[in-house]
Amino acid sequence: MIALVRTEFTKATRRTRTLVIALLLIGLPTLISVAVKTHGRTRRGPDGEGLFRLAEQSGLLVPAAVLSVTSAFLLIVIAATFAGDSVAGDAAWGNLRYLLMRPVSRVRLLIAKAFVAGVLIWAATVLVALAGLVAGVVLFGSHPVRVPGVGNLVTGPLGSGFELTAGDLLARTAVATGYVAFGFTALLALGTLFSTLTDSPAGAIGATAGVYIVSEILDGISQLGRIRYVLPTHYGEAWRTMFLENRYSHDMVTGLGVQVLYLLVVGTIAAVWFRAKDIRS
Amino acid sequence: MTRRTTLAPVGWGAVRPSVGADPGPGAYHRFAMMTSSVPVVAVDGLAKRFGEVSAVEDLSFTVERGQVYGLLGPNGAGKTTTLRVLMGLERPTEGTARLFGTVVTPSSREIARVGAMVELAAFVPHLTGMRNLRLWWEAGGAHMRDADLETALAIADLGDAIDRKVKTYSAGMKQRLGFARLLLGRPELLVLDEPTNGLDPGEIREIREMITRLSGEGVTVLLSSHHLTEVEQVCTHVLVMNRGRFVASGTVDELIGASGSVYVETDDRERARTVLAAMPGVVRVEPQGEGLVVEVRDARRSELAAALVGAGLRLETIMPTQRLEDAFLDLLATGEAAS
Repeated sequence: MIALVRTEFTKATRRTRTLVIALLLIGLPTLISVAVKTHGRTRRGPDGEGLFRLAEQSGLLVPAAVLSVTSAFLLIVIAATFAGDSVAGDAAWGNLRYLLMRPVSRVRLLIAKAFVAGVLIWAATVLVALAGLVAGVVLFGSHPVRVPGVGNLVTGPLGSGFELTAGDLLARTAVATGYVAFGFTALLALGTLFSTLTDSPAGAIGATAGVYIVSEILDGISQLGRIRYVLPTHYGEAWRTMFLENRYSHDMVTGLGVQVLYLLVVGTIAAVWFRAKDIRS
Repeated sequence: MTRRTTLAPVGWGAVRPSVGADPGPGAYHRFAMMTSSVPVVAVDGLAKRFGEVSAVEDLSFTVERGQVYGLLGPNGAGKTTTLRVLMGLERPTEGTARLFGTVVTPSSREIARVGAMVELAAFVPHLTGMRNLRLWWEAGGAHMRDADLETALAIADLGDAIDRKVKTYSAGMKQRLGFARLLLGRPELLVLDEPTNGLDPGEIREIREMITRLSGEGVTVLLSSHHLTEVEQVCTHVLVMNRGRFVASGTVDELIGASGSVYVETDDRERARTVLAAMPGVVRVEPQGEGLVVEVRDARRSELAAALVGAGLRLETIMPTQRLEDAFLDLLATGEAAS
């Protein structure tokens, strides 16, 4: 299994695409930080912009602001790329049949591919946060942050607010990064499943990203009620309360549970399907 | 451009040495080679259907150790599907496919004893030829020291290009690299699906010579091909398929000579005519040019040759007047008429 993971990791990391993604994930937070620094205070707005406004006080908040922005779309597309391409990429090259004729166990191959995709998703999330941290500290320093009263970012101050020390910010940034990365577990499972259904990487990637985007849209329709609670994106922003309300939301735990549920259910479906599938590529 | 040379002689007759109590996936598969009597390949009542479409129907055949067995048939005959089922890529709808006596399932351990090229050789394009070989071998959990990489590289004969990315390779170079990959670990059985596709005439000849050489060293070969000449030159046994069904099988001589005639030249045509006309199984003997055309029903060429040599004649030529191509087309026509 270790050998299989190593070979899959080599295949994935030696692609030009992976390097381009890494450069993008380093460059984008840097660019955003420079833009905020250059143009001064941003207007008040939703949490993402609010986090950037707070980030002007301390570069230690830039990673949270960058995660907030990128996890809504860019990281979804990148995660979908890693997950959706995992099996379909080899199938499109015609290499999948040769791997299976080595032979390697189909389920083990699927697990190895999903594991490598998961590692790359985590690496992407950590990279974007680290790049934000470095750019933020360089441009804004590493000061403590004074957060005005709860809910003030849109509606104005409601309380006395609170202060986050540099240590608090670093610890919560680490938790937020882990939570955002783990929040792509359902996407990883869905992407791997889609990747076994088609020999077209673009199709699998598109379907995976599409499901997440549709999930976000559905999550915005409150009339759907409890159905929204099982959507893979429903608890995706629960981590923001650590920075904006000075508390760890219980939704974060629930969100982790939903991700694990998707991993178990969708992952099992993917394994059963791939094990029985006729390889025609 | 790659250096074009004759393929280096390759082969292996010896049993792979054991590397311990657990020889690992790449090491165990030579042990039974000399002693086992089970067919290397046994297909029994195989059917593969895709919805309403039947790709293979009630197909049975066996390939014995050391044979070079050809699957011959037009496009859509079911050759590739048969090989895919045999390699565990597809599950049969009915019947069984066995490798070395074991029913094949996806990822069967027995598949490790096979070197296969199904359809075109395919690789990870952004990796070098060498890294592709290494990763493929190591994916099975084996060490490169068990792969006999040197022999594989001699087969590939890609020179410095082995360290170039595969996406820069021509179709022929990929096919050569494919041969290198399937020979890693010294497989007992080669499964080759249209093995000379994409190769130039010189490369085709080298591949044929390699197949013949490996066969001579005990490696069993099962190949499908559209090239009748190729099958005729390298195969000892042939199975003709059409529309997924069995049409005929036997040695190449049997298929060619089953209802054919033989051209014979000796140092004494008249005496040869007398000898041959007296043989059972010979229907008619007619002069043609310097020799004789012998129409046979049951007699084999080897029997005709033995009779002539036994009569003290010097045999200069003996060959079927019908080639495999004629026999193939006759068999297909007969099959079509029957169905």
